[in-house]
Amino acid sequence: MKSWKPGDSFIWLSGGALALALLMVFGLIALVVVNGASFFWPRDVEQFQLNDGRVVLGEITAREKIPQPNASHAPATHRIQIKRGNRDLYGTDFIWLNETDIQNTTAPRNALVIERVEWGNFYGIFQRLEIGGQTVSNDWKFVRARLARARKLTAQIHTVSRKDIGAINRAQERLRRELKRSESAELRADYAALQAQYQEQLATLASLRGQLTDVLVVSAAGHPEVRIPLADVVRMNHPNAMTAWRKCCFYAEKLWEFVSAEPRESNTEGGVFPAIYGTVLLVLLMSLIVTPLGVLAALYLREYARQGPIISAVRIAVNNLAGVPSIVYGVFGVAFFIYLGGGTIDQAFFSDRLPTPTFGTGGLLWASLTLALLTLPVVIVATEEGLAAIPPSTRAGALALGATKFETTWRVVLPAVTPAVLTGLILAMARAAGEVAPLMITGVVKLAPALPLDGVFPYLHLDRKFMHLGFHIYDVGFQSPNVDAARPMVYTTTILLLAVVLAFNLTAISIRARLRKKYSSTHL
Amino acid sequence: MKSIVMLVAAIALTGSAAFGESQIKVDESLASYQPVEGVSGNLNSIGSDTLNNLMTYWSEEFKKFYPNVNVQIEGKGSSTAPPALIAGLAQLGPMSRKMKASEVDDFERAHGYKPLAVPVAVDALAVFVHKDNPIQGLSLPQVDAIFSKTRRLRAAADIASWGQVGLTGDWTDRPISLYGRNSASGTYGFFKEHALGKGDIKDTVKEQPGSASVVQGITVDRFGIGYSGIGYTTPGVRALPLSKEDGGTFVEANQENAYAGTYPLARFLYVYVNQAPGEGLDPLTKEFLKMVLSKEGQEICIKDGYFPLPAKVVAESLSKIE
Repeated sequence: MKSWKPGDSFIWLSGGALALALLMVFGLIALVVVNGASFFWPRDVEQFQLNDGRVVLGEITAREKIPQPNASHAPATHRIQIKRGNRDLYGTDFIWLNETDIQNTTAPRNALVIERVEWGNFYGIFQRLEIGGQTVSNDWKFVRARLARARKLTAQIHTVSRKDIGAINRAQERLRRELKRSESAELRADYAALQAQYQEQLATLASLRGQLTDVLVVSAAGHPEVRIPLADVVRMNHPNAMTAWRKCCFYAEKLWEFVSAEPRESNTEGGVFPAIYGTVLLVLLMSLIVTPLGVLAALYLREYARQGPIISAVRIAVNNLAGVPSIVYGVFGVAFFIYLGGGTIDQAFFSDRLPTPTFGTGGLLWASLTLALLTLPVVIVATEEGLAAIPPSTRAGALALGATKFETTWRVVLPAVTPAVLTGLILAMARAAGEVAPLMITGVVKLAPALPLDGVFPYLHLDRKFMHLGFHIYDVGFQSPNVDAARPMVYTTTILLLAVVLAFNLTAISIRARLRKKYSSTHL
Repeated sequence: MKSIVMLVAAIALTGSAAFGESQIKVDESLASYQPVEGVSGNLNSIGSDTLNNLMTYWSEEFKKFYPNVNVQIEGKGSSTAPPALIAGLAQLGPMSRKMKASEVDDFERAHGYKPLAVPVAVDALAVFVHKDNPIQGLSLPQVDAIFSKTRRLRAAADIASWGQVGLTGDWTDRPISLYGRNSASGTYGFFKEHALGKGDIKDTVKEQPGSASVVQGITVDRFGIGYSGIGYTTPGVRALPLSKEDGGTFVEANQENAYAGTYPLARFLYVYVNQAPGEGLDPLTKEFLKMVLSKEGQEICIKDGYFPLPAKVVAESLSKIE
């Protein structure tokens, strides 16, 4: 056995520190993934026959020991939390049952779970399908086909009302504002024409809605006949009769809905697409602002400014800016950008909309500017370090060949420093994507289904408020009306936010790797 | 107290229906919402956290009628509503309490007239305990002695342990763990005014950023007690029946008692708007409020766990909107 060399203890110490850091990171990720990943998996539905004759149908969501401080030697008893849904019938989605009250538990194969557009899940037994008041069929295959038809019709209604009527509404809104400024017969005629179009589209909508007369009749404990319009059904399943493959399909479908759909029911159901979109757009805008600003500042500090006590002081100040709490940036953003900047823009360009503010309120532009300020020190410091690492001989070579100082900086120094700039940007993006506090006061909202970048002129709506994954986590976790139902969503949203940050970083890292290869020749 | 009188008057119209766990019904005389044409644009709402989810549900419903309206909702506390209305940052200012005189004055100074308060739902501010807590109910002076250090409701002594409110066994010596809302919250303001006689809240209260976190805190704390809107009830907590006086009968926090005014912490939830006299509201705000005061809008109150407005209050509010 070898004896310890003097340096070994340090190797062990640094290795241990790394192991500890990795353990914490992976522990956190494992916690989030374990809690979040199972959210969409269809769980078995069980039927509980209680001693008092009641019947409860639902999924088991939790089990806990009932505290019995006065009878410490008695056998431990447990209670289970059941998600029984049917909020419209019973008032709450969840119920606690003492295990001693349960006579027997069965898993009926015909137990039906219906995900509804409103009022959460329904748990019950299928009775029949009615179309226009007539009982038509008990055949499940037929019911599924009708559901597919209803989903298609609903999608059509959505398109007509969003796109077609939307365009008319916007045109009318514009005309109304013009009419406010100056009355003219021509504008009036245009308005009337739009009106006629609007009526036409309304008729289309009415005929589409008229085709949705299917009603699902189902039963639940204590309610022999519950009528659910098929148009309100998102999906329905018999989870106890599903094969593993079907469950996987269901999981994939739910996952896709989560990342691609709009939230429903006060953010407790549906997807988080607007939040993903908002986060990504915010970070991209922030990068666009912070990169040129940070790089130029660093170039001046390192290449042009005369090094002395003043520059040292500036450098220290920049470094210290990184330590300012993010909420302080938020307050600065509100006072400077929104009230001063936004208020001035509104006075100058949108005075016809006042008192309703356009830019004088929180929005995407102000939030990204605030985040750009917040991450500016990171980019400056990283760029400066990169500049310092470029050997003076490179610059001297360029100057000796007759290049001016500007040409040297622009053609030789700047390309060589891009990998360092990207390093700064990676750090900045990671910080910006996870930041919530300054956003809460500069433009993030609980619900803003209109995306800040869409097909409507002027395409990029910098004045719009937006949703953000980080804020969504806070909102769902701490402000949800149905905390028990929403908790798993906290974890799934966290996984998603981590995935977004990871995607950003991987993109930047791959670009950096390519640039490094390209400019490696400049490092002699 | 005016709100209670209004509620009592309203019960005469609503009659005596049977109310159960789930049988809360919207007044049948309420009309369905009739959409009008040409409504689009941005609608901003800044204000109450209690009303946050209700506003979100309403805007989801509103978007069904007007798919191109962009409703943006922020809910950090009722106190954020008046400044937002004054500065014109929002057209809707949801509040879970009435505006204070000073807030109304600020608004009047800026605009020259008073803001319009539109009641939109009925809430029974509930005092929650853990689901295992065997306590039957509390009187308001007891609640005051638990939460307040000034005891304005003349409780004889401070209450700090569960034994002092009559619990036995393991509970006797357990200290009461207090949960509450932060001071920007209208729920905080209402609770302080109506349950504590405007007294001071104890320093030991764990002030939470949202109503749902109060409920979550109590869910995992067996010895916890806290307050928030009835809409945040979960099976992990129990809303305590309350009595106005010591020794009085305990009154459940349900729709019937809230309407009758017998539940001591019943209140209206409001949406404040900037309605210039004579000029009327902009079509967007007006239609939103009309939708909220329709059958569809009031059914949403039930979905979020609150109580719908009596028809008389709805009619009165509708008559005020121009």
